[in-house]
Amino acid sequence: MADKEEGVTIEFLAKDKLSGDNFEEKLSSVLEKVKDNYVLVLEEGWTPEEKSSLIQASMEEIDDDFPGVEFLGLDSANSRFDKAKELFYNRVLDKEYREGLTIVGNSRVMEKVKEERDTVSFLAKLENEGNK
Amino acid sequence: MINRLKKFLNDLFSGSEKDDISIGIYGPPNAGKSTLANHISQDLAGEEMSDISEVPHETRAVEKKEKVTIESDDGRTLDLNLLDMPGISTNVDFKDFTEHGIEEDEAKGRAKEATKGIVEAIKYLDDVDACLVIFDSTDDPYTQVNVTIIGNLEAKDIPILVLANKTDLEDADPSRVRDAFPQHPVLEISAKEGENIDKLYQEIVERLG
Repeated sequence: MADKEEGVTIEFLAKDKLSGDNFEEKLSSVLEKVKDNYVLVLEEGWTPEEKSSLIQASMEEIDDDFPGVEFLGLDSANSRFDKAKELFYNRVLDKEYREGLTIVGNSRVMEKVKEERDTVSFLAKLENEGNK
Repeated sequence: MINRLKKFLNDLFSGSEKDDISIGIYGPPNAGKSTLANHISQDLAGEEMSDISEVPHETRAVEKKEKVTIESDDGRTLDLNLLDMPGISTNVDFKDFTEHGIEEDEAKGRAKEATKGIVEAIKYLDDVDACLVIFDSTDDPYTQVNVTIIGNLEAKDIPILVLANKTDLEDADPSRVRDAFPQHPVLEISAKEGENIDKLYQEIVERLG
């Protein structure tokens, strides 16, 4: 387990694994791991409503030991073609369009370095450094 | 221009069955939301509405200037609710307050209040009729929090005016705000110095209507 070693566990979750859960279950599972100092890399983009749910749920969990989350995203659906694809997925295939990447971590161990539309980077802080 | 803003708000109101309209001021902590809210409140109601501080999360609950009654030339009135939102962030560490010289117990209390304020600000996304989204031009505005605020407002079809604030500061770079949110017009202002506030009222009239 991550908390028995010095360092940060970074876990990658494939979209197939993520597609089974409804969002509330997924959010609960993400927060549980993040509170345990994991950084999660999810192979899917989140909608603005889902991201605000993440912020809201994080706020409700904050205490002296958990200061909240840091999250980064590589979102698609910015171009007209992407918008059309999103519409096709939603209306014709009746599926959620989730192209993109979402990275969520405990803000005590994850610090954003760079965030652009097509590039993100973060610093994973060792536990001692994160608890300064 | 203030008279024109009042007329615009009245026109907006007359086409609706609602008896008031709510304008929310959103943005990250320390972007200048309360400074702007005070300026608008002073212009429309003759008094300020929020405390201002360099300490982040100074506004920890939604500050409301409710029912600012505006009367039109033909005697009709409308009530405007101006909502100064707590700055939305993904984390609130009480140590951010102790770094500003606040005692630990008070810092923990402020942190708790700030978390509640952020939840309240998010819930208000469902209740505002139009929004001013304000960013500090000296900071990088492209963050997931800011993308989330704008994205939620877009998804709800709420009219938005994006503001690049603090243009009075030497290292201000409003072009970063334009680059981050190219889908929206961006107005450069200094809420502190009152620069371009008349233009802001004009933009509210032209774009949020």
